[in-house]
Amino acid sequence: MPAAEATEQSQGGASSVSFQDATKRYGDARVPAVDHLDLEVEAGEICVLVGPSGCGKTTSMRMVNRTVELTEGDILIGGESVKRKDGPRLRREIGYVIQQIGLFPHRTIAQNVATVPQLLGWDKERIRARTTELLELVGLDPELGDRYPVQLSGGQQQRIGVARALAADPPVMLMDEPFGAIDPINRERLQNEFLRLQANIRKTVLFVTHDIDEAIKMGDRIAIMHEHGKVEQYATPAEILMAPANEFVEDFVGADRALKRLALMRVRDINLWKAPHAHPGQPTSEVRALLDAPDVEVPYAVLLDERERPQGWLTERDLAGDTVPATADAPLGPVLETGDVMRDALADLLQGESMYAAVVDHNRAIVGILSVEIISEFLGSPEAKTEEHPAVERPRD
Amino acid sequence: MISSLATMPLAAVGEVGESFFHKRTGETLPCQARGGHLFCWDWATENIHRFGTPTLQQLELTLISVLIGFAIAFALALLAHRYRLLQWPLLAGTGILFAIPSIAFFLLLLPITGRSRETAIIALSAYTLQIIYRNVMQGLANVPDSAKQAARGMGLTERQILWKVELPLAIPEIVGGLRIATVSTVAIATLAVFAGGGGLGTQIYNSANLSFPTAIIIAGGIAMAMALAFDAVFLTVQRFATPWRRVEAEAA
Repeated sequence: MPAAEATEQSQGGASSVSFQDATKRYGDARVPAVDHLDLEVEAGEICVLVGPSGCGKTTSMRMVNRTVELTEGDILIGGESVKRKDGPRLRREIGYVIQQIGLFPHRTIAQNVATVPQLLGWDKERIRARTTELLELVGLDPELGDRYPVQLSGGQQQRIGVARALAADPPVMLMDEPFGAIDPINRERLQNEFLRLQANIRKTVLFVTHDIDEAIKMGDRIAIMHEHGKVEQYATPAEILMAPANEFVEDFVGADRALKRLALMRVRDINLWKAPHAHPGQPTSEVRALLDAPDVEVPYAVLLDERERPQGWLTERDLAGDTVPATADAPLGPVLETGDVMRDALADLLQGESMYAAVVDHNRAIVGILSVEIISEFLGSPEAKTEEHPAVERPRD
Repeated sequence: MISSLATMPLAAVGEVGESFFHKRTGETLPCQARGGHLFCWDWATENIHRFGTPTLQQLELTLISVLIGFAIAFALALLAHRYRLLQWPLLAGTGILFAIPSIAFFLLLLPITGRSRETAIIALSAYTLQIIYRNVMQGLANVPDSAKQAARGMGLTERQILWKVELPLAIPEIVGGLRIATVSTVAIATLAVFAGGGGLGTQIYNSANLSFPTAIIIAGGIAMAMALAFDAVFLTVQRFATPWRRVEAEAA
């Protein structure tokens, strides 16, 4: 166990969280719900607790704000024991988001967001300013402040839930399956929004989910729990996907973990292919020469405009004349950006029923070609299975 | 204050019915001469002033009884909310009080507390307990768990959760209980006369008999109007105290 001082430094309003032999035993139960849990969460990181139901992940999380009291052991926040303050006072310094959101139906959105600042006795003006700031931070119109929760959609309500948890700028946030009750499309949007938000606010977040895909997406580190809060592996998503510590982790991550790795990569992380380039008016003989070169990777030439932006694929018919025509016979198909997540890129390729997709930079100029073959080669290569593969870093906006 | 009944000796209580219906005001009743009319306008215009004091008494009986009943029932409900074990005994206890026939209740109290307005108020308050207690409990039970869980997680104390989250959210049911309790108290308070409590009952059981229903109709009409007025007041209070419910109704 590292000394408390080592974890004490906080980073931009975030504190480390350190579980030290944290144990919860309900009543006279022989088997504890959480048995001597040791876990170090660094300040400013999202730590996802994931595991099957009943594994003790929620109990572990709730011991942090003492909505579940520790039976034995301790939890330190920024080096200070959670036992040193009474429950309500402790909780006002810890953000809390739950799956059912739990907005107060009888209070307006602004009043909901102001809950903790009011408990802390902030003055009216400060509360008003903070409420407006938070609504903007979670991407909602501050005008919504006068509405009641029932007037908002589920996704908007959960954004308010997050804003409310952030109100007093707590160094630690607890999120208990926060997006679990949201439909898949909105869930993905909320996850992305939260990651963008987190990139700015850099809170220490304990995030509970039973969904390994969500864990991989959200976590800087993932603690995979089995039962009684036993951590089977505590590592970055990439490490867990590359090198599962044991059979339980391997099973839990699932047989499709190769595919899951794609969620961790961006298009720019992989070596793209080059297709012969062609511009309108260029002699077709030049293009043919490129296509006939022995090391050609893509057997079709891509037509570019004067700013190197891809327009379409040239067919035999296009190359029948002396010069390259202004328009290409075959449509361009899917276009990807270098920042796209690989999993989405693969989905685009498959959906477009296309072998190749042009990859463009932020000016829409071509940088290369991605093919299904590149992806499958990557997944099958020993390189993909190496722990040190530099490409596999958690994508960040 | 008060009707001739209030000064009746206790001994007369046993023959209460008989003495009521045989008692005459001694005045000439013009309509009676013309036979059994249902409603005698002449008598009504001439005698409407007699209903003033009984109406005020009725109002007073109702307000005081509901207020006392609410205070007790609300406190009991909070107690039962805190100590769950008390929930059923309290429900049964207030239920038994509620089940006692009203006239019997008044008469049972007479040997203990005597003929007085207080006796009437004791019985009337007892009747409201069950209604208000049940509604407060129902209101607290209907508060979504998620709101309580979130409140606790954000650092509200148990007391703050009760007063800032649970009770405001229970307002619709609580006011609903008050409405029913008040309307039924207005009705039962017409029986307060049997305990010497005055009220509109004096005009129903005193100056009238079955062949001359005019006074009964006037007294009954006033009681009904009073009940409706209370109902309207509570509805308005509820609307203003729970703005989010209006929004909910619109959203639905």
